[in-house]
Amino acid sequence: MPPELEQTLALLSSHRSVLGYLLLSRGDHVSIIRHSGVVFEGEQGKKYASVIGKMVESVQAGLEEVSGSENDGDQIRFMRIRTKRHEIMISPDERYLLAVLHDPAS
Amino acid sequence: MSDKRRAEIEAKRAKLAELRKARADRQRAETERRQTEPGPSSGARRDVDDLVNQLVGSRSGLDTGGDVTPSSSLPNTPPRPSTNLLYGSTLSPSGRVSRQSDVGSDRDRVSMGTTMVGMMEHVDRVLTPRFIPDLIDVEQELFELPQRERVIYNKEVQTTAIETETPQVSEVEIRQQIMRERELEEERIAQDKELEEESVQLEKEIEQEIRELTEEERSHILSAPEFLDFVEQSSKILQRALNDGYDYIRDYTIGTEANGDDSEGKRVKRICAFYDERYGKNRSITDVDWSPKYPELSVASYNKNPAALNEPDGIVAVWNLHLLDRPEFVFHSQSDVLSVTFSPFHSNLVFGGTYSGQILLWDTRSKHLPVLKTPLSAAGHTHPVYAMHMVGTQNAHNLITSSTDGTVCSWLVDMLAQPQETLELIHAGHNKTGEVAITTLDFPDNETTTFWVGTEEGNVYQANRYDRAGAKAGLNQYDIYKGHAGPVMGLHFHPLVGPVDFSDLFLTASVDWTVKLWRAKSLAKPSTAAHGISPIYSFDEADDYVYDVKWHPAHPALFGTVDGSGRFDVWNLNTDTEVPVVSTNVGSGRAINKLQWDRKDGRRAALGGSDGKLYVYDIGDMALPRESEWTDLQKTVAGFIGGAQANGVVDGDATRIVAGR
Repeated sequence: MPPELEQTLALLSSHRSVLGYLLLSRGDHVSIIRHSGVVFEGEQGKKYASVIGKMVESVQAGLEEVSGSENDGDQIRFMRIRTKRHEIMISPDERYLLAVLHDPAS
Repeated sequence: MSDKRRAEIEAKRAKLAELRKARADRQRAETERRQTEPGPSSGARRDVDDLVNQLVGSRSGLDTGGDVTPSSSLPNTPPRPSTNLLYGSTLSPSGRVSRQSDVGSDRDRVSMGTTMVGMMEHVDRVLTPRFIPDLIDVEQELFELPQRERVIYNKEVQTTAIETETPQVSEVEIRQQIMRERELEEERIAQDKELEEESVQLEKEIEQEIRELTEEERSHILSAPEFLDFVEQSSKILQRALNDGYDYIRDYTIGTEANGDDSEGKRVKRICAFYDERYGKNRSITDVDWSPKYPELSVASYNKNPAALNEPDGIVAVWNLHLLDRPEFVFHSQSDVLSVTFSPFHSNLVFGGTYSGQILLWDTRSKHLPVLKTPLSAAGHTHPVYAMHMVGTQNAHNLITSSTDGTVCSWLVDMLAQPQETLELIHAGHNKTGEVAITTLDFPDNETTTFWVGTEEGNVYQANRYDRAGAKAGLNQYDIYKGHAGPVMGLHFHPLVGPVDFSDLFLTASVDWTVKLWRAKSLAKPSTAAHGISPIYSFDEADDYVYDVKWHPAHPALFGTVDGSGRFDVWNLNTDTEVPVVSTNVGSGRAINKLQWDRKDGRRAALGGSDGKLYVYDIGDMALPRESEWTDLQKTVAGFIGGAQANGVVDGDATRIVAGR
């Protein structure tokens, strides 16, 4: 794990309102590359991972349905889901996915 | 958990397989039963077999199989047996039989109504002497016809045969039986379907289950370059999004704690301080600039970190106001970068002048290293380049750079291999050396061929890039702006904005703790004898070296200074000429090296500190000029000049003052 990566991720997770991050690899089955924070530990983390994976898939499918016919179809660039308690920010890619859970009210 | 599920799925699969087998068995049994149920139908098969044998065996099988032969359907074809055989040899018996039976049944259906006539016809066709025995045969045929119908392997026909032929008593029973069976079938099918669906879902779930990565997979992923790129990109985006502190689902109807509001008015507020642990440590900021295209981007250049010998000597970092923790871009250089500027005509390019005299060009689209460099030869600069300025228009622009040996070079942006023109500023009248050690350089607004330089000896000179009427290219030795007692650190001309033109006023900041205001001598009347020009006014407020001074881009009477004690002063000439309006202590008391107002409306000022931190301050409403500012400034300047005249310092030019220049 190169040090710049470590530093970047450490910087991310040390932000005052961030509760944790989740680095996933997409593909046929989603798998966790790296995670941090209490929220993403163990079973809870796996559930989050599968849920986030499914959400991104379904949104991408919807996008393709809506805009697939125009040259090059649309692609998700960034997703921000604001729930009552937290906010999940998901930055997806062809192969990977970085999701951050943070509490905007803090 | 997953094991249990897998076991469950296995069990269900086994059950499913059994059910499928059972169903298949049942179906087979069904079909067999259907086939065996009507006695006559199997009997029919036996009859058919007999018929086939007879037909194949005998050449004249017309007695019992007379009707069955296709010859009966083909009128006027005497050699019937031969045709039979032909058919028999080529087609499969069942096909033939079925065709025959089809034919036979068709014919029979048609001829049912006209039995006698048909028989007569048939009989006629066959053999007339056989008439009487044929009658008998016909009777037999009548009896056989329905049987042949059953031979058709068409379920519909079979069932209709059953319904019509079997005695009425058992028909109802059979119908009921069939219905019951159908119901049972449907139930079983439904059950099977459910089980199948469940198993499919379970399989899907297993697939989708989060799998643990093996160590090998993980390390493989972590070392892939696209993974690193992805993390860089997405973490930047995430940090920018995190930075946005506003909670957009905030409900204003709920009462919350009262926030202490910042006092409005004449206050200067710090927005942020950009500092990167890795690149800013032990380094000082040498120059600051704002991006002309993206108002949130600013660039700072750093000199070398003496403690870290492996790090590049010069760093240029582009900072984003929305991304506080780390620079947007970082560029490296082999030697300390002393001056930096965004290209006003290309939003991606950043120029830097270094300690070694090289001019470097970086592109935000590429990585750390410069995309273009000037050669380290005598053609360019060989001394530190402290000042750079971009002049011209979109289509014809040049980069003017100056170094401490008095060389001023003009470069074309895409051709950094050699300068377009070189100018040596030589001051012949100097006692020791002709060289003029340039520390700072500025062009008046809208001028591209003449510029002013500040030198290490404290004088300010005017220079021309080209020969013009009455003046040669190079330094103008006759007009010496004498006033400072130490090196001139900053020189800035008044920007041309607003109804009144003050663009001949310039400010200089020097190591002698003063800031002076000058009026540039008009070029219309070139001097022929050396003479000194004095400043109009001198601001002596500072207690330390004043490192930089800059006019405000929007407000005509406002300017800012930064000094060596870490102070940022904002002066308003219309309010007070003796003291700054606001004086702020920036940072920890370390010197602030450079000041740059942001290009748009001048609300923000970027201050580059010698501690490696880039401070961004907001001056708020002070930046907004009122209508009267310009005329007020005219009066102020007139006051300056009048005062200076009174002291006999400045050669007055009354006409100019009245005209408001």
